[in-house]
Amino acid sequence: MSRASLPRACAAMLRRDLLLAWRRRGDLAMPVLYAVIVVVLFPFALGPDLALLQRIAGGVVLVTVLLAMLLALDAMFASDIEDGSLEQLVLAPQPLALMLGMKILAHWLATALPLVVIAPLLAGMLHLPTTAIPALLLALLLATPLLSLLGAVLVALTAGTRRSGMLLALMLLPLCVPVVIFAAGAVAAAQEGLPWFAPVAWLGAALILCVVLAPLACAAALRIALDA
Amino acid sequence: MSKWIPLWLHKLGSPPTFYRFAGAVRPWAMGLALLAGAIGLYGGLVLAPADYQQGDAYRIIFIHVPSAWMSMFVYAVMGVSGFMALVWRMKLAEVVAMESAPIGAAFTFITLVTGSLWGKPMWGTWWTWDARLTSELVLLFLYLGVIGLYHAFEDRRQGARAASFLAIIGVINVPIVHYSVVWWNTLHQGSTVNVFGHSKMAWDMLWPLLVMTLATKAYYAASLCRRARTDLLALEGGKDWVRQIAEAEATP
Amino acid sequence: MTAATSVPLLEAHRLSFHRQDEPVFAPLDFRLNAGELALVEGDNGSGKTTLLRLLAGLLHASEGRLLWRGAPWQRDACAGEILFLGHQLGQKLELGPRENLVFATGLHGRRDDITVDAVLDEVGLAGYGDEPLRRLSAGQKKRAALARLLLQPAALWLLDEPYANLDRHGIALVNRLLERHVAAGGAVLVSSHGAVGFHGGEPQRIRMHA
Repeated sequence: MSRASLPRACAAMLRRDLLLAWRRRGDLAMPVLYAVIVVVLFPFALGPDLALLQRIAGGVVLVTVLLAMLLALDAMFASDIEDGSLEQLVLAPQPLALMLGMKILAHWLATALPLVVIAPLLAGMLHLPTTAIPALLLALLLATPLLSLLGAVLVALTAGTRRSGMLLALMLLPLCVPVVIFAAGAVAAAQEGLPWFAPVAWLGAALILCVVLAPLACAAALRIALDA
Repeated sequence: MSKWIPLWLHKLGSPPTFYRFAGAVRPWAMGLALLAGAIGLYGGLVLAPADYQQGDAYRIIFIHVPSAWMSMFVYAVMGVSGFMALVWRMKLAEVVAMESAPIGAAFTFITLVTGSLWGKPMWGTWWTWDARLTSELVLLFLYLGVIGLYHAFEDRRQGARAASFLAIIGVINVPIVHYSVVWWNTLHQGSTVNVFGHSKMAWDMLWPLLVMTLATKAYYAASLCRRARTDLLALEGGKDWVRQIAEAEATP
Repeated sequence: MTAATSVPLLEAHRLSFHRQDEPVFAPLDFRLNAGELALVEGDNGSGKTTLLRLLAGLLHASEGRLLWRGAPWQRDACAGEILFLGHQLGQKLELGPRENLVFATGLHGRRDDITVDAVLDEVGLAGYGDEPLRRLSAGQKKRAALARLLLQPAALWLLDEPYANLDRHGIALVNRLLERHVAAGGAVLVSSHGAVGFHGGEPQRIRMHA
């Protein structure tokens, strides 16, 4: 009889969730498609004025990515609650926070990373200067996992409720305001040729803090939400 | 003394005791709120002189500023009692946290509306992305999130615990939001007027403000007592003490 | 097993659970030793599922005491020793029985004396190992979940309606698994309103009253 070691359990969790994401890969394309649609609509609404689009490009791409992530966030634990996998996870002799951390990582890899990958394309459609692209990518690479982690805590809190995407958006808004401010600040600074390291460093610091704390909070939230 | 305070708190934490305590406190708190409100408003709207820059428009601060303070005070109360609800699973703490939320949201809403009314003569626009107003708007969303989460659960106690958890996250989040909004404001060179421009407020403007603050605090206490009493009756519906109250009120 | 026989594996004193301040079931007293099977009996809505979820650690007892091997129940103390199988099977429909099993063993650990193929064979899913569960029948899904009982090491099984959706052979399979587990010194708590054909001695009966 062999007990499950922690690294093996983490690997199993990550592999299963990525495998599931792959089996449902049709769903994965949806947030990406959504982001493209939203970005395409902006020039139609505002007119193809180069200067105007350039000015709003960074912010539009950031907000679009955030909304697309919000769309996918709801599903983070939904199917696991439905089929009882989450109960089994809670009962497993593994630290729940770590297992949830793996789930969040898998969710980020499956839903947010594709958005980061197409972000330069979206930015290009809105004529964001190429000099600002590295800042945009770095800001997104730090901001999207931050949103996944914060979102996971909130999704866990709503785990015991009739699912409601609007409630999730309402709860996430106050948490994502600072993230949006710093990420957009970095892009705006890069666009104006100013140093953009400071806001990115703040994002990085917040991410490190959240990587440690958010899975713990997520586990606590889940225990509250499932206990009835 | 160090012994009887926890004992007293423990006793007060039991629903029947708190029900009676809140029932006794409520009329006094409401009376104080009405009295202080009347005095404060008379002092602020009639006695206080007009501002040399803003004329009479500034008088809205006698509503706006106490509401803004209360919006944060109530949030703090909600956070602390939410913490107590989660750590000690105290029913009363859950009730206080959840019944504070709508009151706090109302104060936040009043703050936003009066801020907007004041903004029109001051800045020539109903809304400006001033750091304080923006933070207050985010605070309103936090309140709405807590209320929404509470009502999304079928089990009220479970909803209260989940919403308390969200309230605690919010307590950490509020200062972060405030400082990031301030930073964002300076970044975008927003030259907003400092709403608290008076570095030294004249005494005949200050005292009505303080009296109004007292009035809002007393109103909060009265309102909380009333809401908590109703909620306790609903939560403890099957218990003996509720039955006794129901029987006592049925036979006058 | 000598020490385990003197101290009961699981012991409940005046155990009850309240939902919205209403007791879901009347206070319960029972003790379950290693090598014993207990039937949880009661009508629909009598709280059988709630009791099993409570014992698994998914819910907190409102009143009463719960002892695990003589000590107050704690999550860490019995982690990995309890296997809970509820109405929801905890199986991913997009994955095959084999993938589901491999994940479960990664999380909960596994016995060394049996292979995944042997387990699938035993529960009658030979040849279906890689078929996504959504293409299998309800009974086959149940069998895929039951396979965990064979592969996972656990002292106590908490089975909620294990006979649901199963055909004659499936019911015989469950009874075989129960007998084998009890004979090997394991303990089982089974909720069922159907008849249980258990041949390993007279089971203990826990009556539930709302």
